[in-house]
Amino acid sequence: MNDVVICFFAAGGYDKSAQGLAGAGRRLADELGGRLCAIVVGAGDDAVASEVARIADFTTVANQAELAEYHSEVCLSALAKLCGGLSPRAVLLGNDAYSQEITARLAYRLGGSAVGDGVEVRAEGESLRVTRQVYGGKAQAVIELKCMPAVVWLRARSFVPAPPRETAGEITRVALELQADARTRVVERRRAETGSARLEDAQVIVSGGRGIGGPEPFTTELRPLADLMGAQIAASRAACDAGWVPPTWQVGQTGKKVAPDLYLAIAIAGASQHMAGISEAKNIAAINIDADAPIFKHCRFGIVEDYRKVVPLLRQKLAALQV
Amino acid sequence: MNTAEATRQIYWNVSHIWVMYALLLPTAAITGYGIYRQTSRWRLGQSAARFDRPAERIKLVLKHAVAQQRTARSKFTGLFHRLITSGLAILTIATTVVALDADFGTTIMRGRFYLYFQSFTVDVFGALVMVGTTMAVARRFIMRPKTLVYTSEATLILVAIFAICLQGFLVEGWRIAVTRDPWAAWSPFGNLVALASRALMTDAQMQAAHWGLWWFHLATVFGFVAWAPYTKMMHVITAPLNVYTANLAALGASLKDIDFEKTESFGVNALTDYTWKDLLDLDACTECGRCTAVCPANTVGKELSPRDIILQLRDLMHAECRTSNFEIIAAVPATSPSSLWQCTTCAACMEACPVFIEQMPKIVDMRRHLVMEEADFPDSMQQAITSLEKRGHPFSGTQATRLDWAQGLGVKHVSEVKDAEVLLWVGCGGALVERNQKVTRATAQLLAQAGVNFAIMGREEKCSGDPARRIGNEFLFETLAKENLENLNKYKVRKIVTACPHCFNTFKNEYPRYGGRFAVYHHSEYLADLVREGKLKPLAESERKITFHDPCYLGRQNSVYDAPRTLVRISSRKEPAEMARSREKSFCCGGGGGMSFIEEPPDQRVNQERAREILDTGADTVAVGCPFCMTMLEDGINARKGSRDVSVMDVSELLWEAAKPRAALETNLNV
Amino acid sequence: MNILVCLKQILDPEIPARDFRVDPVKREAERGAANLVTNIFCENGLETALQFKEKIGNGSITVLSYGAPTAEDSLRKALAMKADAAVLVVNDGNANPDPLTVARVLGVAIRKLGNFDLIIVGREAGDWGAGQTGGLLAEELRLACISYVDRIERADGKLQVRRQTDSGWEVIEAEAPVVVTITNDEHNVPRIPKVRDVMMSYRQPLVTWTLADLDIDVDEVRAGNTYYEVVDLFIPQKETRCEFVGGDTLDEKVEAFARRIVEVTNAF
Repeated sequence: MNDVVICFFAAGGYDKSAQGLAGAGRRLADELGGRLCAIVVGAGDDAVASEVARIADFTTVANQAELAEYHSEVCLSALAKLCGGLSPRAVLLGNDAYSQEITARLAYRLGGSAVGDGVEVRAEGESLRVTRQVYGGKAQAVIELKCMPAVVWLRARSFVPAPPRETAGEITRVALELQADARTRVVERRRAETGSARLEDAQVIVSGGRGIGGPEPFTTELRPLADLMGAQIAASRAACDAGWVPPTWQVGQTGKKVAPDLYLAIAIAGASQHMAGISEAKNIAAINIDADAPIFKHCRFGIVEDYRKVVPLLRQKLAALQV
Repeated sequence: MNTAEATRQIYWNVSHIWVMYALLLPTAAITGYGIYRQTSRWRLGQSAARFDRPAERIKLVLKHAVAQQRTARSKFTGLFHRLITSGLAILTIATTVVALDADFGTTIMRGRFYLYFQSFTVDVFGALVMVGTTMAVARRFIMRPKTLVYTSEATLILVAIFAICLQGFLVEGWRIAVTRDPWAAWSPFGNLVALASRALMTDAQMQAAHWGLWWFHLATVFGFVAWAPYTKMMHVITAPLNVYTANLAALGASLKDIDFEKTESFGVNALTDYTWKDLLDLDACTECGRCTAVCPANTVGKELSPRDIILQLRDLMHAECRTSNFEIIAAVPATSPSSLWQCTTCAACMEACPVFIEQMPKIVDMRRHLVMEEADFPDSMQQAITSLEKRGHPFSGTQATRLDWAQGLGVKHVSEVKDAEVLLWVGCGGALVERNQKVTRATAQLLAQAGVNFAIMGREEKCSGDPARRIGNEFLFETLAKENLENLNKYKVRKIVTACPHCFNTFKNEYPRYGGRFAVYHHSEYLADLVREGKLKPLAESERKITFHDPCYLGRQNSVYDAPRTLVRISSRKEPAEMARSREKSFCCGGGGGMSFIEEPPDQRVNQERAREILDTGADTVAVGCPFCMTMLEDGINARKGSRDVSVMDVSELLWEAAKPRAALETNLNV
Repeated sequence: MNILVCLKQILDPEIPARDFRVDPVKREAERGAANLVTNIFCENGLETALQFKEKIGNGSITVLSYGAPTAEDSLRKALAMKADAAVLVVNDGNANPDPLTVARVLGVAIRKLGNFDLIIVGREAGDWGAGQTGGLLAEELRLACISYVDRIERADGKLQVRRQTDSGWEVIEAEAPVVVTITNDEHNVPRIPKVRDVMMSYRQPLVTWTLADLDIDVDEVRAGNTYYEVVDLFIPQKETRCEFVGGDTLDEKVEAFARRIVEVTNAF
């Protein structure tokens, strides 16, 4: 009854977020004095399962064709079946869009309570308490989950990974009876042009805002700078809403929540909505023509100039410094 | 020779005068119909009250239709226009005198009057008309100013007037020559023709030529009179009429009110949505192009042209007899939405117009249609409007609060001050834009130093509604105005001081309609009063070379020019400099009319044009009196300055610079 | 095609941070001088619905809100944007209902309103940002749920929706009825209503129900949240001082900026 379940999608790989999730699960299970059970759903190799098994006490793998490609209704029923069988105290998920969307529904089906975007999870007597940002990042709330299990998706990259054990825990393979959902069918999947790695895992992010002024400078100015810095490229909501860049680039309260070592905000004013997505960034730097832009209130360092003048020069300088 | 007997024989060489009377009838009919047709078009417009206060209106007509003060601002044009009009007026009087004597049996045309006026004066003025028309033609063909409208009609009118006068002199000259007129010397130009003709022609030839030309002259004049109402000559009637029915209030009070309870459609998209006065405006236009010449948007190369708006609407009105059901915004090239969204509502066009056409309100009328009926306006303005609706200020995304500027000043809210003498209205710009917070601080500190018992409204302030109104969202303006008035009345505010000319104009000219009853002062006026009363004793120690930039809504639109200049003068030891375009001719910073919320194309920025002019004065400081001007000019100067540094300072900051050391001194003495 | 759009009225999320205060006892944000506005994702949802209706040429849009009486403003604005009908379920019991309570109330109201082919919910709200209403409502109504949708079309009698994923898009074909949660996209920026329609919206009927009208046990709702509860709400203290890189020329400033970048990126 004090067990903690952590849920993974095999296709997501064992990236930094997955490691953070495993670490968070490990510590919570230890705090509660329960076991840590990992669930890996998907199809294909067992790469994630074998990594997770070195953290979790035991691992259940549902490796079957129906789960090869994510489908929310199918994955939801798979996870509900697997979690239901374990009667855990808590179910933890990562911060990918798939986990986020099914968290509340999973809780509903398990008769539990859900909360998302947790940055801290701890036991408080009988219940679990989760800390998360609210009001667009202007405040933090501690939320007590009243029904069991507590189903929580975490801002996973913010959690420290757990040290893997020498020997892996037991891995159980199950074959679930799953039916395709008759009501909804995925007819097409498309990838937006982004860099290779996920924004959430990026070390350095170069991000552009409304002040960029159009789609072209993202390609002609920001992209070469990002490439030079080995950075991922992102954007503010204003730039995405204007249609300059795909919505998958959006960082903010309602976009990606990122935690890079350096977040370079170019022509981004810094509305609190945006800042909520980068509150975990270790360093924020900004290029903005307006010295009064709120972004500077969150910056380690900044430069007040037109980015059109700065960026080309900055590329030269960085190239020179890196030689 | 007895001068008392001096006169000439009317008609002399011409018989069958009944032909003239017969021709008069169709001429009068055609002219009358032309005039009627125009006036009947105006009647399609909505109502407007423009016949009150006749004494003021007559005064205006004397100043601007008779004395032509505005026309004369341009020296060359003013000169030839006055030559032509005064000449034609004299000639008309002379013709009337002839008609009286010929048809009514009077004997006015005799003696000294005949010699001094009917001969000499008329001769001189007739010649002056010819000089005037020659100058006008020269302007069209040699000087070719680019804002003028070049039509063959305009040229033909000038040639016709010239020809009519020339004909007159020839007819007169031949009569003098053949009759051996003893008073010939009194008609110097006619006499000149006579002397020349006698050298070349026989009496019989002259007599025959006189007969022929007399009738031809008559035909020309009648033809011209009949044709005139169908051309821009109609301005002879419409211009004085337009001046008579001009808006007598300040330029800042030129937008129309909308009664939301009663109005069917908001704003203008059909000619019949305009008032009769708007339609009269169209016919009053003389195509001089001064409005477009002074238009800031047009000056920096944008498509907006107030002249073209007026003329194209006029052409549409003439072409379309049934003027309703015609969507003018889409149909008329000059009123394309893109050009309507370039107007800064600075009113330079209106100030420049010699015949008092109201171009800017027409633009705002069409904006009203776009905003309120179509919800179609630029994205960045939508953001400002949405922010006004939701937050009561236009600065979408600002992180500043309405009280940030007041930190450490101990400024009190109006509810905490008993019998506050003055409400310091901070305004959104003064509170939420960091640069302007310093201006608000300076103003508050000056008021405190002068011992003024003042208070603020803090978070209860909302935007005065100016940007909403100028963008065209009258409904939102009304909502904001009512909310503000509720608070202002709740605190029984009687005197408002504000550093924002937009708030100033709105309170002064637009709130009274909703029951606003208070005295409104721009901070420059109030501070200048405090200096005059000796309550502020600034000691200028700075050596700044200052030039003052008149905010449109303070200067041109509300005629406050001197108070800010007084402050500038006492704030520095150096004599201030004036820009080429200053006072009523001041050139907009580019930020009015909601334009500060729009990103202008980099090569078409109004603020940079103004910055160039500021730099040309050699001043090291430009003084402003408006939070929008502050932002726009700082940007403009940053883009233009090159090696020279010019600081943008509000007049209150300059005054505080001069007054502050004294405050510090007095504090020290007290300690 | 009957479409239902859920709307939530929230405290203006753009309150400047310095004006933002929380009431630690009530554990909610203080209203202060700030306005109440419609949650942006709900407006994105309404805009998506309006465009869908315009595209298919028929249909009716009902907007539904569970909230304080002031939520009428949000509904009126939706009517001004051209929603067809508006229903307000007045929350007279629990100032901060948890997501399950909200989903239950909405579910009961939707069943009472009749059959809908498409139920649209914003992905999350700008106040608490829980992002659970759509999913829980789908569970309550036993319907499928598609999240983060930015476009809805009709194809062969079915709904074809595009939704955003971490790496791109998925196009999903769905049988009506279905619940979708809407995210923002360049195409669903909410329209500005015409002033005429704003004025007219105040003359349109607006259905108001209390919880009792829905046969919901008011006492139970008033008793408090059984799903989750906010036990603490605070404003985190953060102190950052921006160092503006110095230099007389642009070149010097950018040089200094580049050095700082190298410093922080090599340090990790």
